[in-house]
Amino acid sequence: MISDPVPRAMPGTGFSLFNSTEKGYDLQKFILFLFAISILFLIIFSCDSSEKQPGDKITITFWHSFVSSTIPALNELLAMFEKEHPEITIRAQYIPTGDALIQKLITAVQSKTAPDISWLHSDFMQDLVEADAIYKMEDFISGPDSVRREDLNDIYPALIRYASWRGVLYSLPMEATNLALIYNKEMFRQAGLNPEQPPRTWEELHEYAKKLTFDKDGDGKFEQVGLFLPIFPAAGPLSSWMVWQWLPYLWQADGEIINEEQTRVIFNEEAGVQALTLWQNIFNDIKLSTFTTDYDVAFASRHLAMSMDGPWNLPRFEKMMQNLDWGFAPLPAGPKKSATVVGGEYLAIFKQSKHPAEAWKFLKWIIRPEIQAFWSMKSGYLPIRHAVSKIPEFQEYLNSHPNFKVFVQQMEVGQAQRPIDFYGIEITRYVAEAIEKATIGKVYPKTALDEAAVKANKLLSSVAERND
Amino acid sequence: MIRWKDQQSKSSPGSFSGKHLKKQHASRRSGWSALLFLSPTLVIFVTFIIFPVFFSFYLSFHEWNMFSSETSYVGLKNYTRMLGDSDFWMVLKHTFVYTFGTVPLNMVLSLFIAYMLNQKLLGKKLLRTALFAPVIISPVSAAVIWRWLYDPNFGLINYFISLFGVDTINWLNDPTAAMFALIVMGVWKTFGINMVLFAAGLQAIPDSYYDAAQIDGAGRWAKFWYITIPLLSPTTFFIMVMSMISSFQVFDIVYVLTSGGPLGSTKVLVFYLYEHAFKFFEMGYASAVAYSLFAILVVMTLLQIKYMKSSVYDAV
Repeated sequence: MISDPVPRAMPGTGFSLFNSTEKGYDLQKFILFLFAISILFLIIFSCDSSEKQPGDKITITFWHSFVSSTIPALNELLAMFEKEHPEITIRAQYIPTGDALIQKLITAVQSKTAPDISWLHSDFMQDLVEADAIYKMEDFISGPDSVRREDLNDIYPALIRYASWRGVLYSLPMEATNLALIYNKEMFRQAGLNPEQPPRTWEELHEYAKKLTFDKDGDGKFEQVGLFLPIFPAAGPLSSWMVWQWLPYLWQADGEIINEEQTRVIFNEEAGVQALTLWQNIFNDIKLSTFTTDYDVAFASRHLAMSMDGPWNLPRFEKMMQNLDWGFAPLPAGPKKSATVVGGEYLAIFKQSKHPAEAWKFLKWIIRPEIQAFWSMKSGYLPIRHAVSKIPEFQEYLNSHPNFKVFVQQMEVGQAQRPIDFYGIEITRYVAEAIEKATIGKVYPKTALDEAAVKANKLLSSVAERND
Repeated sequence: MIRWKDQQSKSSPGSFSGKHLKKQHASRRSGWSALLFLSPTLVIFVTFIIFPVFFSFYLSFHEWNMFSSETSYVGLKNYTRMLGDSDFWMVLKHTFVYTFGTVPLNMVLSLFIAYMLNQKLLGKKLLRTALFAPVIISPVSAAVIWRWLYDPNFGLINYFISLFGVDTINWLNDPTAAMFALIVMGVWKTFGINMVLFAAGLQAIPDSYYDAAQIDGAGRWAKFWYITIPLLSPTTFFIMVMSMISSFQVFDIVYVLTSGGPLGSTKVLVFYLYEHAFKFFEMGYASAVAYSLFAILVVMTLLQIKYMKSSVYDAV
């Protein structure tokens, strides 16, 4: 069958390049001509728009991963900056966050096409610093276009910690986030709980979670679940989101992931065991093993009473859950203290940038209190510094937005993870595996954490060997 | 049509010998111009296929984190580390479970459907298109749809089994059920292509065999067993080898459907490779895993040729 010469079929099917009439041939020529011309135009125009801007404006490329609902606010912010700095144009480019962002940054650095400014997560810092890809902030802070020390000291210390690597500042925060408890007030009323008094301690959290869980129709299956705990596959994209939500519980019991000297992990000590035991007990008591992981859908469809989330979801929730009586509350306090986890996005300037001074102008501008207030009110992110709360306009905004206010107030107990200088990604993964094992796998929390600690300490001792 | 035939006869081998020298010159020139026309594809092929194949082999003996500009030679360290890693043996086991779960199921199902569609059936074409659709759907969107289907609270599958009084199964979060869920989706996603191949194989069996069997008094089952199965064996062999290879390489649906979880119960070889390459940036180690996957596939294919080839009929 295959031995049949394939082209024989062509004339029969009217392959017109070979047996076209004179007229048809002209038409083809014309189409080809049009095609060639359009390609030519494409090439010319695409070249023209790439580098040279009329009036010799400096273009700063800025990579970010803002979700689409934040883009209008970002555009307003950039327009404001460009108005104040007419010589600079910021070209903002969306890059998917997480794995994709770091992969893209590596490729860009390798191929010398790095952006001028990019937003980063703190666990990328080690790789980028070791590759000598980004500037120290000190190069600019003490440079000709300096920024006052008081301004830097006004930024929440947790954010400065994340923006640094091994005590050296390599980036500046653009905005802050933290984690709070979202709850359905209607369900609190139904269960005989005071809707204005969300759980304040671990015991209350556990008790409320049980009270709010019930089987409506008696089929042995819970129709409503009291609290969602973020148990996701440790190897999956939501793994670090799971660990991030577990950290406040670790801190509330006065624990840490790693010791001060960075020589061994300490998450398997008493505090870690307490925090993981709490999660395990709640997970088992309200049978989360048969509950969906689409927690926001479950919450919006009245299947879930409490969950944890950040301020970035506020605008979406307000739209999505208009007919629901819900609110945010601070995370309950643990046996030792109140704490929440602080996050944010950090802007770094790449050494491959041709205009580092102009890129710095943007960073310096964005940490100004009035700009932070504007950006925060527009985008729903939290301001990065104390001074913003003193601006009357911002205070007014807080009073009319109680849910947002919860997040801003929580910044005072907001904590940063002690940075893990080496193997941060791997160690976070081991913690994620321990959480998964203790909940889905029903392993004793102490055993699960110890196993993870052994693996993590092995990596840390290899760092020590390398440094010796 | 006629003009084409004329051109064919003019350039037939008979007229070739006369203008030997001139022809050779022309063909050499056309060789260069052919190369010129092929160059865009060739450049892409060499840069993105040939070069990475060799570079990856080189990397498997080195350590490289993608950031630094130099790689350091470590000899066989990546390979010995791999053999000593219990996770590697675990993902290998999962890959075998997935392969031996999907391939037989896939083949039986696709043969059955192809056989049914080979009969006179109303709406055959429509049915064939519908059954082929999963192959064309992007694996990522397909996996997202299946995530919904498997959802313990809102999923259709749990709703359906609850009608029979079966308890809710959290398919994707239960370590014992997740691999099964993955296999079912894997079969659904790939059986269409095998169905088409089987259908082509069935069409190629001449009716005369069936007619002769009919005269000999063979029933439907005997005809299927003694005519269809043996005469289809070249197709079956091809499908088996190809499905084996593709299920060993499964990645995208695992990534979206289960992300290797719960408790790593669906972590397969390529997922493990991906993690080491693009999460932990151990390119050397990942390359070693890739080359061991290649070795496993070569061995498996050779074994299949050695032991299965004898039962393949070449008569058609």
